[in-house]
Amino acid sequence: MAAGKKKERKKIGKYIPIKGAQAVLAAAFFFTLLFISVGNLLHKDREFSSQEKRVLAQRPEMSLSKITSGRFMRQYEEYISDQFPGRELLLQIKTFADSISGKTKENGVFNGRDDYLMADAAAPDEEALSENLSAMLDFKAGREDIQMHMMLVPNAVSVMRSKLPLFAAPADQREMIQEVRNRLEGPYDWIDVEKTMTEHREEEIYYRTDHHWTTLGAYYAFQDAREKLGLTNMEEIKMKPYGASNHFTGTLSAMSGYQTGYKEAIFIYLPDGDTNVRWVVNYVEEQKKSASLYDSASLNGEDQYNVFMGGNHAIVDIKTTRSDGGRLLVIKDSYANCFIPFLVPYYKEVVVVDPRYYYGDLDQLMADNKIDSVLFLYNANSFFEDRMLYGILSDES
Amino acid sequence: MLFSSVVFLFTFLPLTILLYYVTPRKAKNAVLLVVSLIFYAWGEPVYIFLMILSILFNYFSGIDLARNEGRKEEQRKSLTITVVVNLLILGFFKYYGFLIENINAALSVQIPVRNLELPIGISFYTFQALSYIIDVYRGKVNVLVNPIDFGAYVTMFPQLIAGPIVRYADVEEQLRSRRENIYKFGQGARLFIVGLAKKVLLANTIGAVYTEAAAQAPASVLTAWIGCAAYTFQIYYDFSGYSDMAIGLGKMFGFEFPQNFRYPYIARSVTDFWRRWHISLGNWFREYVYIPLGGNRVSVLRHIMNLMIVWLLTGLWHGASWNFVVWGLYYGVILIIEKYVTGRLLAKLPEVIGVLYCMFLVMIGWVLFASPGLKEAFVYLGRMFGAGASSIFDRHALYLIKSNWMLWIFLVVGCTPVMHRLGRVLLWDEEREASAPVAILYLGMFFISVVYLVTETYNPFLYFRF
Repeated sequence: MAAGKKKERKKIGKYIPIKGAQAVLAAAFFFTLLFISVGNLLHKDREFSSQEKRVLAQRPEMSLSKITSGRFMRQYEEYISDQFPGRELLLQIKTFADSISGKTKENGVFNGRDDYLMADAAAPDEEALSENLSAMLDFKAGREDIQMHMMLVPNAVSVMRSKLPLFAAPADQREMIQEVRNRLEGPYDWIDVEKTMTEHREEEIYYRTDHHWTTLGAYYAFQDAREKLGLTNMEEIKMKPYGASNHFTGTLSAMSGYQTGYKEAIFIYLPDGDTNVRWVVNYVEEQKKSASLYDSASLNGEDQYNVFMGGNHAIVDIKTTRSDGGRLLVIKDSYANCFIPFLVPYYKEVVVVDPRYYYGDLDQLMADNKIDSVLFLYNANSFFEDRMLYGILSDES
Repeated sequence: MLFSSVVFLFTFLPLTILLYYVTPRKAKNAVLLVVSLIFYAWGEPVYIFLMILSILFNYFSGIDLARNEGRKEEQRKSLTITVVVNLLILGFFKYYGFLIENINAALSVQIPVRNLELPIGISFYTFQALSYIIDVYRGKVNVLVNPIDFGAYVTMFPQLIAGPIVRYADVEEQLRSRRENIYKFGQGARLFIVGLAKKVLLANTIGAVYTEAAAQAPASVLTAWIGCAAYTFQIYYDFSGYSDMAIGLGKMFGFEFPQNFRYPYIARSVTDFWRRWHISLGNWFREYVYIPLGGNRVSVLRHIMNLMIVWLLTGLWHGASWNFVVWGLYYGVILIIEKYVTGRLLAKLPEVIGVLYCMFLVMIGWVLFASPGLKEAFVYLGRMFGAGASSIFDRHALYLIKSNWMLWIFLVVGCTPVMHRLGRVLLWDEEREASAPVAILYLGMFFISVVYLVTETYNPFLYFRF
């Protein structure tokens, strides 16, 4: 044995670290593997990551068909990665390591100037987009007497270009929005919020840690929309902002792992004093009614943006005491949640449908509620990635 | 299963090491066989039966060859059948779809194409089995009577799915008697960690840059070159990383596998490059195709033909599509030119010029290799030289450089022996034992790799077409 060792020492000594170091490394490597493996084994599974704001993969169930198709293995790998002990710390280390090596984008989120995190402009899913647009045109074509409006809100990445990191060149969202406008305008009344948002880009119109616009952004957009929606002949209802939170951290921070430490304020707008319009908000599927469009309980929850209408719902029916108002259907994504409070005081009824969750019959809904105008409200990124809209607009669903 | 996966690192590997080292010597190969089958089945739960079938077939073919020892005629017949069957299996799974498509196109017929998913590693293990069969026939190695040893050789998980292609002759001795010890294990751990870091920290991250650059349309000339450079680095760090991990794992179990990469990107000529790139594949083709064809001990014309045959096959080995064929022939032509025309001139040129010349041709080659088809490859090449490019450079190109600047530096430095030399100066030499710094350095590297592995969603496997 001793002779064998000596011989080997001679052979390898020339170009690799000599023995002591190798023995230490051998032991250290093996025990590291063992230590982490046992840690993995003993680590208690979690259902939800509050930092990443997503549901984590759980231990998959085993079955013969899942094994032969390889699905079990894929799910198991995902499960182990998701439940890795200290995963959230590892995410922070990774983001930090990426940052010092020059990266300014993580998981599709730019780490911009002045603590602005911005989701990259989504590339349109061409097939779904074209189906959505055709479905929207068909939807309008069958309803000559119903006014339809489209409001496509550009994202921060398009508006706040001066806040992008050096040399960052996201795809041109303005061009994509223009293409949609060219398709829809005419049959649809196009509410151009792009100009307004650009004019106010020095103000706090987008959150810095979240992909939504702020209530102030929605407020400016509403000034454009009010005229287009034909609400200017009604007396303007003054709205006043109230601070609801001063420590909001949004989903972009969770998605990217960038911990800028920036604490955001959330404002809610309420009618200023003398209006006597009142409303009842009916969360139809949840069978819950409320007199407020805001859900203050959400301020203590995982996502404070849910203070607006309690987050996304399949359908929300808001009836007001206003007898001279119309009946509006809003087909929307989450950008609408903080916009709707501006609309409500002008209508007799506002029905809000989120196609991502709604499976009902839209025709029936419109007839039942005597809808006389429709507003589509999306942010550009979610509109370009949407695969649900054409489903509820076409008759089959 | 991939080496660069959490399940491999923190379930499969520690269990395998434990099991292997507590098992008595006699049963160690059986342990290797069983864990290797599990390793393979984790990624290919169905094709594992194909692999087992292939092993059994080649095992009995070996026995048959040995039984006919002395009877050349019988042996030749047996060898021919075995080689043909192996190639038919490989051909069916790998080239059937490609062949039918081309027949359909050429004869304008409509034979239905069934595109089978390629069994991972089939090109590697088929070549390993062939090396055994041919060498038994040549009398270079003894026949293996123990089916477990033979199974362990073919399925050996460290090199099963991405090489190196270990010829049976290289490990014949080691299969029967090999020595594991803590020093070799340490060497293995070191190589494994280096390979893992190459794959996870360098290849995967630059791979994302390649994907981003290649998806740009219209792109600038600079973006096109950045994309090409990114792929050039990705495939090197990915492939050589896998080889390092394989060789390192082999050492942990007492094996010495042949080296597969030797700083290919500092080669001074393309001939030199191919002595440094995927060495085990080059050796295989030389040993079992080129030399049997007569090698260079034939007329010039015949020699040129031999080279073209070898490079056509090398191209096809990498994937069943026309761009791999063109890629292989491209190298065949360059090597013939270097052999007969420019070789001497190249040797006289300064080293830097040689490296630049070689890298230029290699990068052009990778465009042919990486593109989904020939047409796309030529479109991309055109863009690199200004045809169809939006401009010379743009913001996007600058962004790709700027936001990966440290990565680019590591990538360039890592292609040269600089780090290795630095390590020897700072950490170890004949007299010094810097155990603690070495352990800390490598464990640190391992830790960062694990961080990226657990958090990174982009972890591709490039050799699914091999």
